[in-house]
Amino acid sequence: MSAPSLLNPDQTDALQEVTNIAMGQAGSSLASILGVFVNLSVPRIRVLDAASIGTAISDMVGRDKEITAARQSFHGTMRGEALVIYDQEGCMDLADLMGYDGQLDAAAEREILLDVSNVQVGACLGGIADLLEASLTYSAPSIMAEHIPVDRLIDPKKMTWNYALLVEVNFTLEERNFTSHMTFLMPEESIQSMGEALDKFMENF
Amino acid sequence: MNESTENEFSEDWAPFIVDRVEIGLFALDKEHRLLLWNQFMEKHSGKKADEVLGQVIYDCFPELPRKWLERKINSVFLLKNFAFTSWEQRPYLFQFAHNRPITGGIDFMQQNSTIMPMLGKDGGIDGVCISLFDVTDTAIATRQLNETKAALEESNNRDGLTGIYNRRYLQEHLLQEFERARRYEEGFALIMFDLDHFKKVNDNYGHLGGDAVLRAVGKRMTDLLRKSDIFGRYGGEEFMLILPGTDVVGALTLAERIRVAAESEPADWDGTPIAFTISMGISIYQPGHEKPEDLIQETDLALYHSKKSGRNRATRFDPSVHTEIG
Repeated sequence: MSAPSLLNPDQTDALQEVTNIAMGQAGSSLASILGVFVNLSVPRIRVLDAASIGTAISDMVGRDKEITAARQSFHGTMRGEALVIYDQEGCMDLADLMGYDGQLDAAAEREILLDVSNVQVGACLGGIADLLEASLTYSAPSIMAEHIPVDRLIDPKKMTWNYALLVEVNFTLEERNFTSHMTFLMPEESIQSMGEALDKFMENF
Repeated sequence: MNESTENEFSEDWAPFIVDRVEIGLFALDKEHRLLLWNQFMEKHSGKKADEVLGQVIYDCFPELPRKWLERKINSVFLLKNFAFTSWEQRPYLFQFAHNRPITGGIDFMQQNSTIMPMLGKDGGIDGVCISLFDVTDTAIATRQLNETKAALEESNNRDGLTGIYNRRYLQEHLLQEFERARRYEEGFALIMFDLDHFKKVNDNYGHLGGDAVLRAVGKRMTDLLRKSDIFGRYGGEEFMLILPGTDVVGALTLAERIRVAAESEPADWDGTPIAFTISMGISIYQPGHEKPEDLIQETDLALYHSKKSGRNRATRFDPSVHTEIG
């Protein structure tokens, strides 16, 4: 079920626009970090209530898929938590692009996962924050789950926030076995303050 | 001191704090030349600020993982985001000594770090600042906690008498193996066996004698198995074997070796030999199985058949023959 009251239709449109621009920039930043061409899907934006977030993520990734996920907190004008979800193959195929040589042990695999997640979150969220003239800081990312069925990632009973902003972006890389899905979870008041920033953005346009 | 400024923060203090704060702080320009090197970094590296400032950091510290760190720092210049390193994945960046020589068991100070962009007034990025945290104490405590957790988990999975896996563990892994077989269409075999006339052993030698036989089974069978096989005591005198990637031929071969291993040599109960034999039921995973219990049910039927046809033997479940017990 969507919760349209938190962002009005104009704000939702503006957020879509801001996200599109930010993702375009994120794509080219990531491409220059990784040195390969990055394909980004057109982001899909929804505000959801907590109870439906798990289902939305299952739908996004594909039911019965086994996934690995990283999480990262952000603070500032907007605050919340970003999730980056990988399907089973994860991002090991990116090891050489992130500056790793030779055989990877479990710790190196986790580090790559966290590094790749960190640059994705930084590129996308940073782009949005820039356009909205919001300032953000980030906490260190951590691994949320490894190799679990997607429907076990989020327990709605343990969600302490009522709503979440689901920004669905899929990354793929040319000639690489890699796909990731990203979502941002924000508490209600943070979605509202983002709404105000979006109003300002529209005025200046 | 002037009365009115007494409660105000003086800008002059900032450099003092940066220099003396008990975390490592250093900054780099776009070419990764050092712009700042505080006392923490001086103290632990043994290199004074005036020795390293203006130099490329990798030239001063060849131990740094250059290729990886360069990429990481460059991504901060490019994205203006934060980047992090954690001791859990990479125990340290710099080879600094630590202060836990006795309790440590670790080589160098364990470090977390945060790489932050330093933005100029125009919003452009002038450099990056890296804060380095000594997390040696946390790392040692976490490692000890993890070791304790692993040991607890291990003992939680073990049967107290025989030291082999217990029923809880077997059930958990049978379910896992079942789900894996279904997902990847990779078969596995399940063997259940029990001791023949175990009641008589207990009657003749007492329960301590019976315990000696159970322990002998645990020890002897473990020696016959592959690393990937899972063997445990299901309950009483019943044992379970989960054999990943094993077909009928493999299961029957192993069953025969187990049978012979039991029969060939009596258990030793403090010098008293106690002869024993076992009967087995075998079931092979098929795509038609709906749940793990289906396989247990089949091994029960096959085991019952082994018992009825004279004991000390293995029977593979055959749906056309072993329909019910009784």
